[in-house]
Amino acid sequence: MWNYIARRLLQLIPTFVGATILAFVIIQIAPGDAITRFELDPTVDREQIERLRQQFGLDQPIPAQYAKWLSGVLFHGYLGISLDYRSDVWSVIRQPILNSMVLVGLSTLLIYLVAIPIGVYSAVRKYSLGDRTLTFLAFFGLAIPNFFFALIMLYFAIWVNDHAGMRLLPIGGMTDQFLGGVPRQEAPWIARTLDVLWHSILPVIVVATSGMAGLVRIMRGQMLEVLSQDYVRTARAKGVAERMVIYKHALRNAVIPLVAGIGGLLPGLIGGAGLVEVVMAWPGITPAFLQAVSAIDIYVIMGLITISTFLLIVGNLLSDLLLAWVDPRIRYN
Amino acid sequence: MRRILVLSMLALAGLALAQPKVFKGVEAGKAGGNYRVTAISDPRTFNPFVARETSSTDVIGLFLPYLTGYNPYDLKPEGYLAQSWEVRNNGLTVIFKLRQGAKWSDGQPIDADDVIFSATAHADPKVNSNSRSSFILDGQPIKWSKVDQYTVRADFPKPYAPSLIQGWYIAPEHIFGEAYKAGKIAELWTLDTPVNRIISGGPFMLESYSKGERVVLRRNPNYWGVDDKNSPVAYLERYTFTTVSDLNASLAKFLAGESDLYAAANADQVAQILERIRSGGLKGEIFPNADVTTGTNFIVFNWNHKDANKAKLFRQVKFRRAMAHLMDKKSMIEVALGGLGQPQWSPISIPVKQFFTDDVAKYDYSPQKAAALLAELGFRKKNAQGFLVDAAGKVLEFNLVTNQGNNIREKIAQIFAEDARKIGIKVNYRPIDFNELVRQLTQPAADGTRDFDAILIGLTGGIEPAFSRNVWQLNGSLHAWNLGVGGQAPKQIESFEVLIDKLMTQGATTLDPAKRREIYVQFQKVVAENVPLIYTVAPAYNPARNARIGGLFPKGQINSIVGQYPYIETVFAKE
Repeated sequence: MWNYIARRLLQLIPTFVGATILAFVIIQIAPGDAITRFELDPTVDREQIERLRQQFGLDQPIPAQYAKWLSGVLFHGYLGISLDYRSDVWSVIRQPILNSMVLVGLSTLLIYLVAIPIGVYSAVRKYSLGDRTLTFLAFFGLAIPNFFFALIMLYFAIWVNDHAGMRLLPIGGMTDQFLGGVPRQEAPWIARTLDVLWHSILPVIVVATSGMAGLVRIMRGQMLEVLSQDYVRTARAKGVAERMVIYKHALRNAVIPLVAGIGGLLPGLIGGAGLVEVVMAWPGITPAFLQAVSAIDIYVIMGLITISTFLLIVGNLLSDLLLAWVDPRIRYN
Repeated sequence: MRRILVLSMLALAGLALAQPKVFKGVEAGKAGGNYRVTAISDPRTFNPFVARETSSTDVIGLFLPYLTGYNPYDLKPEGYLAQSWEVRNNGLTVIFKLRQGAKWSDGQPIDADDVIFSATAHADPKVNSNSRSSFILDGQPIKWSKVDQYTVRADFPKPYAPSLIQGWYIAPEHIFGEAYKAGKIAELWTLDTPVNRIISGGPFMLESYSKGERVVLRRNPNYWGVDDKNSPVAYLERYTFTTVSDLNASLAKFLAGESDLYAAANADQVAQILERIRSGGLKGEIFPNADVTTGTNFIVFNWNHKDANKAKLFRQVKFRRAMAHLMDKKSMIEVALGGLGQPQWSPISIPVKQFFTDDVAKYDYSPQKAAALLAELGFRKKNAQGFLVDAAGKVLEFNLVTNQGNNIREKIAQIFAEDARKIGIKVNYRPIDFNELVRQLTQPAADGTRDFDAILIGLTGGIEPAFSRNVWQLNGSLHAWNLGVGGQAPKQIESFEVLIDKLMTQGATTLDPAKRREIYVQFQKVVAENVPLIYTVAPAYNPARNARIGGLFPKGQINSIVGQYPYIETVFAKE
């Protein structure tokens, strides 16, 4: 087992170097750099632009820039400097990562809480009207683009507030400036937490609907397979109550692959919730990443890629280990 | 008892010495309230020596002072931290008197040392401040020196007209001085600095900052401004920027009454706001087409083309006039701008009333006139495909690019390309990446050639024509149609370019406002006559506001340069 883990961790190094070289080269192939956007400003002169390029080392050859960055990451854990914010990359991306985790964590929870019962129901009442309706809704959620759904939700929130005559739903954002009449930073932590949860209602719904369909289908398939197994038939033949058959025997075995999939959530957490964050003004990873891309803030892009590559590898490892733990048939020795 | 007397006398003396600036508002205001706007992105820094983009300077401008600026009512120079100034030596020397009694929010006085320190740091090439160009005139430095605690003196190598309106930020020496000496000035006042350690000398001070969400400023109790009844300003208790990176979401916030001021970007947004006001969902007003924005959109042809025939063609004024005759500005306004905008003919933005003139050569939309001019250049016949050809049978053809994602420019370019095709010019229109476009435009090969044909692009216009010297002077880095290599003048120049270069120098060094206007009127005429840049249309400025905010300009006084209010100090919340 330890042998296996060590081997996997060693594989991390070439994967990481390969992924970052690829990302670095792709960013550099694109025309322009972080300074380009100043060049069409009539009030900025040429020397100033050249001095900026020197300050950031953008005038050095690309392999030298990459080597400098990689040695910083490997030997000092230093992700580099943000060319846009002129400060440490980690301090630029830390907060967006945490903010995205709130959204992704909550929506994952919602997906599991809703998708598993629906999957079970659909399997037990196969081809019933309920099964068909729920399946249709799940696929509808999958089909509608997230950013568009988020926009609809924004206008829905305005509509609800208009009709209620009060602020029932937030119009985007993650926090309110004032909580109970005092500035946010002076409010008690419980009020601040509830405020974030309140703001997360709509984006979490949007993110969850898109992820639900897949899980419902997996759960339904698993359940159907388990229900056709011999031991289930035996249990039924012995006169065990149907509830017990489904929830105690079948469900426990059917959720195994879902448990094993939890490791895959880690990179999902770092990937953020996508364009929903942009539309709903949720200060997560996607807006930060898009801003970094449009400013060609190369080290912020690299920082986000580094962390997500790392988590992807660790998450996969975790998945494999979980699978070995829940499924006695799998052995890594 | 005696001690109390002395103390109170000292306090009285302090009052007598204080020379607050009077901010004349639009209407009588009252203290308190929160003013909320949305911003398209976060500030990048709070450090005035590092800041480059408006997302940062919009915030910094609320908490750091500057010497002089514009009077928002007549656009003439006005003292801010400088209480008065005196011009000597035919404009070679300006002596600024600072307001005595002005204080930083930590209680330290704002005095000549702060001004001289800030000027030194901004001018230092190692600091590389964005304001550095305000301290160099044609390669020679402007000297700043301290006369006494409240008097500073600026010596110019030659008279410089915009010297009184360069709003560079004054930073506290007692905070930045040490770091500057250690070469670490850029490390102060970053976004990670606790906001209470950032001190203010402006109307507001930082209260909180949460990344990606909002910046909150609170009124600075030590501010040196009052209203015309001698009450302290700013009236507003708080000023909040909320970051909303999506344009739809920022409109939604305004429609929901969660932001106070907005400028609708297009006809669709105007319609949505109007509808919302009519239905009673929003108490507010919108003024569509109240003014035009200062931004310009123009087509530039490449005179340094590596294909000598193309370079020669683009250098013909008749060719460029023919292209100008093909600009269907009416359709461009209707289709690209949704009916909200104005045609533009000259390089000075329309709202800059003190220099703008409408009395320049104009080229009405006329494919016939365009065809006639092209015929004079030898394009008389059409080939089998219907394209114009010269005597040698060569098709009149060029590529036109603009930056991808700018809907207005993309539509303007398409309209132009279609009209040109109708009279037999083969225009290959293509949107490309902005950075690639900048590369094509600004980076000539070693022999001075560039490889584009025509580019539709724009520049942000400012109020001061002298600040666009980089575009118009022969050695300017944005002399886009005929660009020299490495800061030199281009190899082959036309006489009108020399004239423009001369007018730009005169405009910058003439101090008399009436004479300056004459110079810039002539400048606009020369440009319109020779059309090195072929101007298209300027989008409208459509300001909207929530009714809860007072102290804003009435409709007639709104202009796109100053915005919706004269001073932030005199804006107030009605509720």
